[in-house]
Amino acid sequence: MVATGLLDHPFKEAYASKAGALPGATHAWVDGLRQTARALLNTAGLPGPKTEAFIFTPVSDLAKIPFIPAASADDVDVRDVPLNVPRIAGASRIVLVNGVLNAALSDNIAVEGLRVESLKQVLARDTLSVKPLLGGLAASASLPLVALNTAYMADGLVIRAGKNFAGAMLHVISIGAAGAEPVAFHPRNLVALEPGAQLTLIETHVGLPGQNYLTNPVTEISLAENARLKRYVSVAEDDDAFHFATTSVALSAHSTFNAFHAGLGGGKVRQEVRAAFLGTGSSAIVNGVYALSGKQHHDFTTAMDHAVPHTTSSQLVKGVVDGQSRAVFQGRVLVDRDAQKTDARQLHKAMFLAKGPAVDCKPELEIFADDVQCAHGAATGELDENHLFYLMARGIDRDTARALLVSGFLEDVLESIGDEQVREAFSALVQGWLKRRAMRRAA
Amino acid sequence: MAARSDTAAAVKDIEAYKYGFVTDIESDRAPKGLNEDIVRFISAKKNEPAWLLEWRLKAFRYWLTLADLEPAWAKLHYPKIDYQDAYYYAAPKQKAALKSMDEVDPQLVETYKKLGIPLLEQQIMSGVAVDAVFDSVSVATTYKKKLNELGVIFCPISEAVQKHPELVQKYLGSVVPVADNFFATLNSAVFTDGSFVYIPKGLRCPMELSTYFRINEKNTGQFERTLIIADEGSYVSYLEGCTAPQRDENQLHAAVVELVALDDAEIKYSTVQNWFPGDKDGKGGIYNFVTKRGACRGKNSKIMWTQVETGSAITWKYPSCILQGDNSVGEFYSVAITNNRQQADTGTKMIHIGRNTRSKIISKGISAGKSSNTYRGLVRVQGKADGARNYTQCDSLLIGSACAAHTVPYIENRNPTAQTEHEATTSKISEDQLFYCLQRGMTEEEAVSLIVNGFCKEVLQTLPMEFAVEAQKLVGISLEGSVG
Repeated sequence: MVATGLLDHPFKEAYASKAGALPGATHAWVDGLRQTARALLNTAGLPGPKTEAFIFTPVSDLAKIPFIPAASADDVDVRDVPLNVPRIAGASRIVLVNGVLNAALSDNIAVEGLRVESLKQVLARDTLSVKPLLGGLAASASLPLVALNTAYMADGLVIRAGKNFAGAMLHVISIGAAGAEPVAFHPRNLVALEPGAQLTLIETHVGLPGQNYLTNPVTEISLAENARLKRYVSVAEDDDAFHFATTSVALSAHSTFNAFHAGLGGGKVRQEVRAAFLGTGSSAIVNGVYALSGKQHHDFTTAMDHAVPHTTSSQLVKGVVDGQSRAVFQGRVLVDRDAQKTDARQLHKAMFLAKGPAVDCKPELEIFADDVQCAHGAATGELDENHLFYLMARGIDRDTARALLVSGFLEDVLESIGDEQVREAFSALVQGWLKRRAMRRAA
Repeated sequence: MAARSDTAAAVKDIEAYKYGFVTDIESDRAPKGLNEDIVRFISAKKNEPAWLLEWRLKAFRYWLTLADLEPAWAKLHYPKIDYQDAYYYAAPKQKAALKSMDEVDPQLVETYKKLGIPLLEQQIMSGVAVDAVFDSVSVATTYKKKLNELGVIFCPISEAVQKHPELVQKYLGSVVPVADNFFATLNSAVFTDGSFVYIPKGLRCPMELSTYFRINEKNTGQFERTLIIADEGSYVSYLEGCTAPQRDENQLHAAVVELVALDDAEIKYSTVQNWFPGDKDGKGGIYNFVTKRGACRGKNSKIMWTQVETGSAITWKYPSCILQGDNSVGEFYSVAITNNRQQADTGTKMIHIGRNTRSKIISKGISAGKSSNTYRGLVRVQGKADGARNYTQCDSLLIGSACAAHTVPYIENRNPTAQTEHEATTSKISEDQLFYCLQRGMTEEEAVSLIVNGFCKEVLQTLPMEFAVEAQKLVGISLEGSVG
């Protein structure tokens, strides 16, 4: 790709002065990671529409916005978690403001076998324990947004569950809050589950209204043998905000990764989930819903990399688009030469609610082994008139019938959320979106 | 002896014949390399009008600016092509001096019999001079007379440039513009010949038109240009047969095919491609970089592409439909078979512009040996294409654990009333089916051929009958040596 002039990019200017202050700068290996990432950014720039992985969601225009690095949590006056963030029974809250752990708003977590720390603190101490994780699962070289994160990461969470940890539910709430100028923050989260450990991670990404910020979190997840992670992510950023999240998961033998992603708002959002199946018998479910309105742009990108025999991946993504919004789904399934007996399924369905939105999808299969079962499907269209007719013939008015059908279309995926209280919370988010839409239409 | 080795042996023999009998070629060949003089030379040789020379030069100058922009996005690996190390013009070679079919290598005859090609075509394709050429000329003229009476124009494009310049000028490059892509631009600059078809208003062309009869000319041209125009309410079925193994090794083949269907017209374009695929180790073979595109300009028009791709070392080919006219229909049926070290990256593009446009894509990819087979397709529904409908089905079959099958579809929908559907599966030949066939006394190769034919049936059925029979046999032959 041609360099996009990132050399005079505000990221560089604004961050250069802070480079020395970034955590881990005194450790050669951390500094090395940053240097490499910076060099990659300076030569390749941010990916534009000519970079295959970003054809539908170019991010090169970010260079035009004079982002400044987000200040530390203490500088930003966020006294409460926004009211629209649900309180989930049984889950401990961890609050990040602009990517920095805010102890005042977080619950105190004292559970044996579970360690939740700030990356900044870990890097200030002993970096060796996180060395295999940090940069080990998400590589800067092939992922430009990871490079951006690696170059400028300032904080994040390090969550570690010990051997056979029986399970806990953590609710991570990330709040974006800009001042007068647009800010950018690049949280780096590391999650490691030791053999047989179980954990449920709920992530809610919200922003304070009317604020222009970029959040570019990278989460590296390592699952040891028989570990089980459930991760539920909802993104409802402000309309002016940018949210690019990359998750990279490494699965050891018989581990399971069960993920659900909801995209319910943000100016430009990309949720990228990459899973590497490195142990036989490992499996992943990556499901999602999105509901978009206005000029929102949402990109859901997945990459399932089956490297060994007998692994399973399953994906179901459904979304509705309204206004002038744009939805993107890119799902890649790679089956290596050795990965015989892989079972990989994927389905994406998008429903138009108006004239104006755009849907782009690119489901992709790359198969190098013969004894496999792989299938994908993708469909776009509007509500089936026959279904509407059926309901209206039973005395339900058109608007109610539509709302019922759209809700049913999305609920289908929400059903896959195993934890009841989480399912209810996510369902409420979707229902809230539909209600707001109904009110907009009425007005 | 396996048919594949027969074919290989036949190819070898033809090579020998070619060099044995062709004389004094040098005088009619432009010097190696590509520059403006060569483009002028080709144009002068063809006695072309000034506008066409200008058009070629414009293409050539633009191509020079593309030097580093050779498409690299396909899943294909090949050494960099040296465009200066090739002849861009060679006059038709001397006819091989065989006197009759009796002198043709019996093994070659055997191969053609296996393919089920009629004797006459065998003669033409094996380059038998006197009788066959004499025969074919008479055949051609018989048809030509009949076609002329109906008002059908069917001739080499260089002849059309002389006789029907108004049609050529109006439509040439109107579907695949000069600046379309690297290979199409190159073709625009140096194309040597190809077919031109014009079907007048309201005529249902009573016979299948085919490129068979010019296969000899094809030997010289690596850059063909085909232009087919179906005027209002007409219908034509066109066959492109490359059923004879190509003789040249590692030859670049960059053709352009343009189809134009006006109101209520229908064009059916069928291809059975069996260029020389290279040997078992991937040595030699044709690099097939072809741009094929049809424009459904008129309302209710229809373009249907059917392709059976079994040959070529590299296939880079995306026959597409631009559905401009309201209610127009585009269809794409494809069987792509790769064996040994062949690589294919093929698919289609369906661009829905008009209202109530419909498209259907059925793609069957079969990979065996160490080959790689990719389906790459685009379905784009533009904002005004109300009621557009697309259905896509891509199935891949893997034979052996060293091959690869990829599916890369792009679906872009901008219209809420449009419906798009895409389905893809990848699997191997079912052990049960194989067992069933073997138990009934079939050999493993016969069984695989039968099962694969069943897998492709939906596509093969859309071919004209004579072609379908031939294609079925080809499917079997292409996969020989892939099992057991």
